[in-house]
Amino acid sequence: MRTEGLRVIAAKEFRDHVRSRRFHILLAIFLIIAVVGLIDGSIQYNQQIEEYNENLAQVSDDEMMPSYFGWKPSILSAFFKMSMLITTVGVVLGCAMGFDLISREKESKSLKILLSHPIYRDEVINGKALGGIAAIALAMGTVLAISFAIILIFGIVPNLDESIRIMLFGGLSFLLIFSYFAIALFMSTVAKNSSNALIYTLIIFIILSTLIPSFATNESVMEIVVGEPPRFNGPSGPYAVSSSSTASSTGEVVELVDTSEIDLAWEEYREKSEAYWEKRHTFTDAVNLLSPSYNYQQMAIAVTEPRLSIALLNVGSYSSDIYEDLPESGLAILGSLMGALAKNIIALLVIPAAFFGLAWVRFMREDIR
Amino acid sequence: MIRCEHLCKVYHGVPAVDDLCLEVPEGEVFGLLGPNGAGKSTTILMLTGLIEPTSGACYIDDLEVATHPIEVKKKIGYMPEDVGFYPTLTAEENLEYSAKLYGMGKERKERIKELLALVGLEGVTKEVGGFSKGMRQRLGIAKALINHPKAIILDEPTANLDPQGVADYRRIIRHVADQGTTVLVSSHILSEVSKVCTSAGILAHGKLVAHGTWDELARIGGDEKVVIHIETRTPMPDLQSPALVAAEFAENRHRARIVATVDIRDELADTLAEAGVAIRSLEAEHPDIEDVFLSYYHTTEEAA
Repeated sequence: MRTEGLRVIAAKEFRDHVRSRRFHILLAIFLIIAVVGLIDGSIQYNQQIEEYNENLAQVSDDEMMPSYFGWKPSILSAFFKMSMLITTVGVVLGCAMGFDLISREKESKSLKILLSHPIYRDEVINGKALGGIAAIALAMGTVLAISFAIILIFGIVPNLDESIRIMLFGGLSFLLIFSYFAIALFMSTVAKNSSNALIYTLIIFIILSTLIPSFATNESVMEIVVGEPPRFNGPSGPYAVSSSSTASSTGEVVELVDTSEIDLAWEEYREKSEAYWEKRHTFTDAVNLLSPSYNYQQMAIAVTEPRLSIALLNVGSYSSDIYEDLPESGLAILGSLMGALAKNIIALLVIPAAFFGLAWVRFMREDIR
Repeated sequence: MIRCEHLCKVYHGVPAVDDLCLEVPEGEVFGLLGPNGAGKSTTILMLTGLIEPTSGACYIDDLEVATHPIEVKKKIGYMPEDVGFYPTLTAEENLEYSAKLYGMGKERKERIKELLALVGLEGVTKEVGGFSKGMRQRLGIAKALINHPKAIILDEPTANLDPQGVADYRRIIRHVADQGTTVLVSSHILSEVSKVCTSAGILAHGKLVAHGTWDELARIGGDEKVVIHIETRTPMPDLQSPALVAAEFAENRHRARIVATVDIRDELADTLAEAGVAIRSLEAEHPDIEDVFLSYYHTTEEAA
């Protein structure tokens, strides 16, 4: 029965992960930082909510401007801070869990023995992935459960909207860790030994988490790809200064410039600027899509701080009414952001799937001698 | 039980196994002999379904390995030369994992206990990472037997064993063979194979250059000549036989060295008795088995 081997391998891999010292140490670091961050976040939240309530008591609703600083505080802000931690410790956990899954089997010579059992090769790689997924899910589940416990200890009871967003945050974090786990698993199938696999994984980690985002925003790269930003070439104001020279005297003549000419020049400059920034954003976004860390950060901001996400998505926009008609519910705002962030969600799903696919193909073709 | 039909495996244009035809009947303990690089391990990898042949086919219990790998793996037990286990698990845990992969139920507990006792690892609770090579080899034999296989295939099973381990290994193989299990042992150590196997095949440069029982192999390898030494108390008369090739007498015909195409000791004893010659000793000279096998290798090398 094909699923039996898969189940046995997945169970063994899961047990290996949760029994390994490496997993214990990383999970402990993860939990300590998460707990400290959440305690700090909970204290800050309680202070912010007090200030907010005081402001609310002093100012009537009509006078409250819909601005970022006037938003009701949310405990999700603490999780937003936790997302920074996940892009480092969580990613290291993913890499550490995957980099030697296949190479270790090659080194200990157990791969030949394993494949001599009545199992298909795909059951081995799928079982290893499933075991890893289960261990990552356990790690994330533990972090979320402890996070919930801490905020409850501080008397903060998340409402349904917040609870769902916390769960979504957990799901996204799981996807990020799994992305790096899949990358490490692929490197484990490619490399001849575990130390090489670890080095390759770290190189990819640095490229995806640091180099790609830096490359995407580098000014020199931007100049090469999208050119220099447009400059305003029209008159600088309603008065134009020109030099005049006659046989008897030399001086400056101030002329009144036609305002319609200025408006036209500004309009032209604005259009060019918008086109330039749009092109620049498109390039940056396209390059950043290759980085799971970037995609995760975008999504994590959207889930934990949806209004901030709207602000960030509209950087460079000339529209001032972006906060108007925003729904009160964070989940509803998140829903409205889905269109803009669809590419990030897809990339966050495609990258681990692609690396797992590569690992799968490589392992199926592995030469056993 | 084990059959290869024109089996070939080519790596980067170089044949590792070349048109191998072989048959091992059920219940036989067969030795696959050959120097390093002869193609023994490649043949075994094809027999165990770990690699596919370039051409030809191999069968276990009449099932083609390449087309029925899972069914075949259920019927065989395999121990590779460089046997490896999970270092963080104990011997029992490694066997437990293996038994689960064979789909064994609760009966596996009893089987594991029985096998650990058989290979002398009962009561060893340390992790396999702390095992000596010999202990790993013993565990490898236990793993190869976990699923009650119809045939077991062992690749260089005594490579890392100490003398006690080798003795235990021979005992285990005899025990397994007594139960009717077919055994295929690959080795380049002739003495080891000759002590446990009832028949053998010799591989050189990927080709099977000879196979048969030990007597058959020795006779073929020894040029089909039998040398007989005779010592008598009284002088010998001239000896006549259609199988006689040469006769050399010494010490006033009290000693003779006879070369014949077959073993004619009985015929010689009768002739001498009829002539009234008292025999002190009459024995056939067995060719040195090592020399015979080396001659196979050298013949193949010269042909290549």
